Amino acid sequence: MIQVQGLTKTYRGRAVVDDISFEAGRGEIVGFLGPNGAGKSTTMRILSGFLLPTAGKVEIAGHDIVEESLQARRHLGYMPEDVPLYPEMRVEEYLRYRAGIKGVSRERLAGRVHENMERCGVSEVRRKLIGTLSKGYRQRIGLADALVHDPSILILDEPTNGLDPNQIRSVREIIRSLAGRHTVLLSTHILAEVEAVCERVIILDRGRIKATGDPSSLARRLERGARLILEARGAGVATLGTALRKVPAVTGARENDLADGWRRFELDVRGGEDPRESLFRAVQAEQCTLRHLSMEPATLEEIFAGLTAAENREPETQPATDA
Amino acid sequence: MEPARRFLILLQRELASFFFSPMAYFILAMVMGLNGVAFRFATALMDGRVQPHSLVSLTFNSFWFRMIFFLLFPLLTMRLFAEERKMGTFETLMTAPVRVSEVVLSKYLACLVFYGALWVPVLGNFMLFRMLTGSQAAFADGALVSSALLLLLLGAFNIALGCLASALSRNQIVAAVAGGTLVLLHFFLGFLAGFAKVSPEVLERVQYFSSLDHINFFAQGLIDSRPVVYYLSATLFLLFLTHQAIGHRRGGL
Repeated sequence: MIQVQGLTKTYRGRAVVDDISFEAGRGEIVGFLGPNGAGKSTTMRILSGFLLPTAGKVEIAGHDIVEESLQARRHLGYMPEDVPLYPEMRVEEYLRYRAGIKGVSRERLAGRVHENMERCGVSEVRRKLIGTLSKGYRQRIGLADALVHDPSILILDEPTNGLDPNQIRSVREIIRSLAGRHTVLLSTHILAEVEAVCERVIILDRGRIKATGDPSSLARRLERGARLILEARGAGVATLGTALRKVPAVTGARENDLADGWRRFELDVRGGEDPRESLFRAVQAEQCTLRHLSMEPATLEEIFAGLTAAENREPETQPATDA
Repeated sequence: MEPARRFLILLQRELASFFFSPMAYFILAMVMGLNGVAFRFATALMDGRVQPHSLVSLTFNSFWFRMIFFLLFPLLTMRLFAEERKMGTFETLMTAPVRVSEVVLSKYLACLVFYGALWVPVLGNFMLFRMLTGSQAAFADGALVSSALLLLLLGAFNIALGCLASALSRNQIVAAVAGGTLVLLHFFLGFLAGFAKVSPEVLERVQYFSSLDHINFFAQGLIDSRPVVYYLSATLFLLFLTHQAIGHRRGGL
């Protein structure tokens, strides 16, 4: 439904979006994940037909977004970041207006508007001026607008931004309910959101795709395996860190002192390996007592931090190699 | 059928946004106030004196009437595109399945309709004057018709000029100042050319574009086809430029 090939957007000679290619099939919910300034919003603005790409090709439901923009936009429901709305209009009036310009027929218009006000929970404020409503309502009016013409593709830029936990849950519920019939592309910088809603994740950083896959396999595929927490005390606790680092599967360790002589170690472990037995022996060999040993699979957060941190180091190492 | 309905919905929304904003009533009050002054001065000039000019001619050639022009167009047009850009609603508007031409035309036409509505009470002044005084001699009906036609043409042109200024900026003040300057320069073109030491041939050509001369002419009840063609074609060209400006800016951020 969404096909993007070699999409590039340069702005004053700087590539904001740099050679991005991906696809999203019918009924799929795909998440764009990345820090602020990664190029998520720019990509979505190009996909929605608002901005022109510098290079590359975007197809929305089989229509080129540049060549057949009007046909492509017919299949599209787009909710921009910060949800711009007309403050002087009333909620129902606004949605009727939006449904009208999006080509919803006269007969179906009232039905579609009411259905989506109900679905997004804005029915109780339908006669209120938009300018007087809270961020939570505005966000859901934006969602109702994106849905009002029953588009096959939805592009939602930070759909849960500024909502309280209850509203976040209900918006995620709505988005999940769209799976199967609608293709949804949403952006977020909240990792929990992607894990809760998306079937597939595309991680963007500095305009490039860093990784893509479903949330759990992404963790497996990336080299950053599990994280291990270990707490011990005893005679050789001072040298325990060195001993633990010698265990083959351990790739890194951080340690800090706790109360009553206990010491906490955080170990990075290579993917697919479980060194807990060897670690226990190492603790014994150093004549220490163990009170805690646990292994946690890497969260998206850590994968993400790893990916972006590696990139951040690049500019620093560059001059060194030159010298 | 569908494009026609879409255009009507856009036009309706643009008109509503005019009449629902306090700005519209401020502009209406300003135009009526300044016109009242222009009208009162014109009647004062005629009072007890023999005048070679009619009431219509004196009103529309007065200083006060010109003041309306410079204030009106920037105020009327500055928000058209600049406001939507600033609020971000331009993004939701342009990502709906609407054409750039439909958006430009609906905004332009709504503005022109509102502009037309502004002059209804002004033209009413003359009718009221005739009813109250029973005087047929103050002005001829034809002069009122030709003046109304010229007001419409001037409006069509200057609103298109303001449209372009608003399309080029996201800041309403910048749009207003740019639009106002263009309106002012164009309006006084014939007047300014008189100061510059240009040859009589050039001066004659410049005067084809002079709104001051057009007003003087039309207010006497004369209809000249040259300004009609000029204003209509210039309006179309300015709207085309606005269309291109909106389309072109999609390439930037």
